[in-house]
Amino acid sequence: MTTALLILGVLGGFSSSVYAQSETASEELVTDSFSAHQFGEREPQTLSFDSEQVIVGAEFLNLYTGPGRGYVIDHVVEYGEPLWLIKRRTDWVKVMTRTGKTGWAKIAELDEIYTPEGEQVAVPTPGIDDYYQQSFRMGFTYGDFAGANSMGISLGYRFTGNISAELRAAQTIGAYSDSQTYQVALMHQPFPRWRLSPYFVLGTGVNITSPNATIVATEDRKDTAMLVGLGVTTYLSRRFALRAEVANHYLLTSRDENQEIVEWKLGFDVFM
Amino acid sequence: METRIRRIYVRVVGLLLAGAALAPFSSAALAQSDQEIDDIISPDLERREIREAKIDSEDFEFTLYLGGILSVEDFGSDRMIGGSLAYHINEDFFMEAAYAQSTLGESSYERLSGSAPLLTDDERDLSMYNLSLAWNFLPGEIFLGSKFALNSNLYLIGGAGNTNFAGEEHFTYNIGVGVRMLAQDWLALRLDVRDHIFEHEIFGEPLNTNNLSAQLGVSIYF
Repeated sequence: MTTALLILGVLGGFSSSVYAQSETASEELVTDSFSAHQFGEREPQTLSFDSEQVIVGAEFLNLYTGPGRGYVIDHVVEYGEPLWLIKRRTDWVKVMTRTGKTGWAKIAELDEIYTPEGEQVAVPTPGIDDYYQQSFRMGFTYGDFAGANSMGISLGYRFTGNISAELRAAQTIGAYSDSQTYQVALMHQPFPRWRLSPYFVLGTGVNITSPNATIVATEDRKDTAMLVGLGVTTYLSRRFALRAEVANHYLLTSRDENQEIVEWKLGFDVFM
Repeated sequence: METRIRRIYVRVVGLLLAGAALAPFSSAALAQSDQEIDDIISPDLERREIREAKIDSEDFEFTLYLGGILSVEDFGSDRMIGGSLAYHINEDFFMEAAYAQSTLGESSYERLSGSAPLLTDDERDLSMYNLSLAWNFLPGEIFLGSKFALNSNLYLIGGAGNTNFAGEEHFTYNIGVGVRMLAQDWLALRLDVRDHIFEHEIFGEPLNTNNLSAQLGVSIYF
């Protein structure tokens, strides 16, 4: 029994020391490597003052002639070679090599770059975390406002994970009348982390309705409106979220009867 | 997904810790079990700091129409001025908000019949806005001689908006095609051809019209 344990212990110790050794081998930073030193201190002549220097830690990095997958790869940067990040367009970064050559690198391939001090650098891409932590957002919607086409724009601000406020403006164009609506609305999202997250809306505002003049000459009407709605929103990609909403507008008119309008709309939000 | 896995880990660790807290009452192995748990749960890895690159992104594009022409069915072709703001979502797609203005001429009916004009001068002013989505479906290069190659895009674009003219709002769909040539990374020349489709009732009954516009613009990325 004891011998068996002893053997196991020896084996265990051996394997763990092998493991430790392999770990230290891979621990060597690219900035301390022989390759990094051989490139020396050379800097490109035409460097803008705010570009950031990094060292390539991947085996190689392809540089394209343009910010798109179809452009030609006309330069390759090696392991340990310095690189200057100039600017970014969509999922591409424009870089300059130590000889002053510029090219575009894919952000997905820039996952192993380090500062000259050895700190890893990441090029941020907007993702679902930004969606959860958003504050301001802009929305665009297209909808059906009781048979009329409606186009809307909104500016929203999220106070907590669940509650946000929105300013909304919409223009609707119908066969018999056109209208403009301006609203302030409060939204509650009970489950903000759900993939398809439902929300409730309560709001108030004004509707300015102008009947089409070709039928009869009428005046514009301005009515106070209240709305209650139900919607669902989902994260799309990057800075975009999709949303669908149905809202019941209750117009407090100066006529004998108040008017109810059901609006359906589909749109997207861009969050900042 | 990741958070769910993390939650399961936390639960497992919690159970282990609870077990560890209860076990020693019956045995003297407190120190030993604590040691074991530490071995299991404390990672033997150094956390490496990752810093975000301070890099400027240029995903917006502002375009000013240098020259544009808009042909409105029955009202002739007239000069159009305007501009647009685009946001590039990725290398394949961008969205664009555009605004343009024009002043329409006389309709052929007004010219031929010699009767009173259909529209007042104010009603001849046309303004439109729209929001469109475009697909860079043929990215490539345009060669100028043997020395220069300009990056280029041929894109399909379509969207919806509003056209205000003859004192009325008209819901308008637009569809078109355009070509963009980049002289620099931040400077481009664009040529757009669009069809603006809307319905109007100026001649008494609803008429669906196709109104073509072509505009040459210069755009800067920022």
